[in-house]
Amino acid sequence: MSPLSQALTKKPSDKSSKAGRIIRGTIVWILVLFVAFITVFPYLWMLLTSFKERLEAMSIDFTLFPEVFVFDSYKALSDQDPSLIRAFFNTALIEVAVIPIGTFVTALAAFAFAKMRLPHKHFWLLFLMSGMMVPYAALMLPQYRVFSEIGWVGTPWPLIIPGLFGNVSMLFFFVQYLKSIPTSLIEAGRVDGASWFRIFLKIMLPSMFPAIAAQVVFWFLGIWNDYFAPSIYLSGSSWLTLQALLAQINDNMQRMPDYPLVMAGAVLSSIPIIVIYIACQRYFVQSLALTGMKD
Amino acid sequence: MNSSHVKKTDLHKSERNMARLFIALPVIGFCIFTLVTLVFVFVFSLMDYNVYREEYSFIGFQNFTDLFSNEIYSDAFFRAIGNTMFMLLGVPVGMVVGLGLSALLQAKAMRKCSKVFQVLFYLPAVTSAVAINLVFRYLFNPSYGLINKMLGTEILWFSNEWLIKIAIMIKNTWAGMGGTMILCLAGMLSIPSSYYEAADIDGAKPGRKFFSITLPLITPTLFYMLITGIIGGLQSYADAQVFANGASGAQTIVYFIWQYGINQGKQGLASAGSLVLAVFIMIVTFIQFKISNKWVYEA
Repeated sequence: MSPLSQALTKKPSDKSSKAGRIIRGTIVWILVLFVAFITVFPYLWMLLTSFKERLEAMSIDFTLFPEVFVFDSYKALSDQDPSLIRAFFNTALIEVAVIPIGTFVTALAAFAFAKMRLPHKHFWLLFLMSGMMVPYAALMLPQYRVFSEIGWVGTPWPLIIPGLFGNVSMLFFFVQYLKSIPTSLIEAGRVDGASWFRIFLKIMLPSMFPAIAAQVVFWFLGIWNDYFAPSIYLSGSSWLTLQALLAQINDNMQRMPDYPLVMAGAVLSSIPIIVIYIACQRYFVQSLALTGMKD
Repeated sequence: MNSSHVKKTDLHKSERNMARLFIALPVIGFCIFTLVTLVFVFVFSLMDYNVYREEYSFIGFQNFTDLFSNEIYSDAFFRAIGNTMFMLLGVPVGMVVGLGLSALLQAKAMRKCSKVFQVLFYLPAVTSAVAINLVFRYLFNPSYGLINKMLGTEILWFSNEWLIKIAIMIKNTWAGMGGTMILCLAGMLSIPSSYYEAADIDGAKPGRKFFSITLPLITPTLFYMLITGIIGGLQSYADAQVFANGASGAQTIVYFIWQYGINQGKQGLASAGSLVLAVFIMIVTFIQFKISNKWVYEA
């Protein structure tokens, strides 16, 4: 009875499920392409607007493409105070000053936490991690007072110095990662009489490379896109970072809107990050999947 | 025997000292930039401290009572809390969209192209908040923004205190869906395929499999996203400053702290506000630790 009914129903149900699969597949594709369009459109709009003339961007009639492609906005970006190029170098300077030292300091501490004898290890790790609970906004006021007393407001120092002491979320990531690296390498190094620092430098650091690459990409992104601290410490100075400069252009625009100018700034400040993102995308997905950490 | 024992403890001692040295910089940094700073925030919060007049005097908990009951400040403070809380409603919305996206990309029809779309959908998450805010500020512009043009409406997105929050939530959903999608996908990949095979044998439909297997098993991921979303949302600042340009309907708690502390120099009052914010966030984080520990042990 049962095998017979199965044999009778099998063919039609197979057919309908095949048709169902095609319909489902089509619906999935339509939805995905729709979201893809929504994702891409603001970027496209940013780019197209940046080539428009100021008045065209404010016209009541809708134009997708510029009537004439003009590059005035891109030229005007170099007339800003500071110029976009200067802001680019300011941002790059902070990245270069913070990341190599900060990452090295963090990796060294993570090595001690993961692989060395250290009294009250858990206490110290929790002690450091408790800092992740305190929002930057809560700490900003006294730090601003102190940096202002010593004359560092308007210079990049307040954005560089704290980073040199390492990065706690990176530390946590490294400690987890180091647990998967065998200790036998370290023991071999100890037998050969190598110092702890040498073991870290010659054995641990190279084997941490994937973790370091993943975290450096994230830290780079965080500094590049940071707005809160740069806008507080650098406002009105020639040390403005890209994001702070963009916000300043937007502020100045309140009197006379110039959307192509703002969009051109947004395009140029986003290009480096998009290039890095596409080149390093496997690291992004990897470390997101591992820790679930963003910003 | 005895001498080698002594030698070993000596070695351990030097190892411990080296380890102390290696963790010294992060510990010192934490002490300066978090611990001592927090003490100062607390001390400031007990003072009437105006930076521009360079006056200060101890006033006890006056700043805290001012925040909650002195109309001059409490209106702005409660408005900032209300705005921040309301905009937190965007967090679950973004999670649902991200979850839906990840389910779409897991579909059989997407098998070959899933990676490309993952990279694409995550793009807003790496774009700066300032750039995104500027584009959306333009898109939402009441008179020549594209959104009103497309809808054929003249909605005043920026002057209505509710609409501006909704605009910000739409923008944040757009910006955040890629991040939640990636986390959901990672959670889904960790589910053993044998569960789905068993469901296939029982003849379960894709929808049923999603709600009975996938969703329950990624609840830890969803909970994690909810908590980090709330913590991030409580610290929202760029939306109020760049997108809304300080419009009162979008002022957040951190904007309040900036406005009074940095802009107006009322350091005492702003410090009290930032302590309130810190306590909020610590409570949320603590809840996360408690609940996720429970999950870890159950699993």
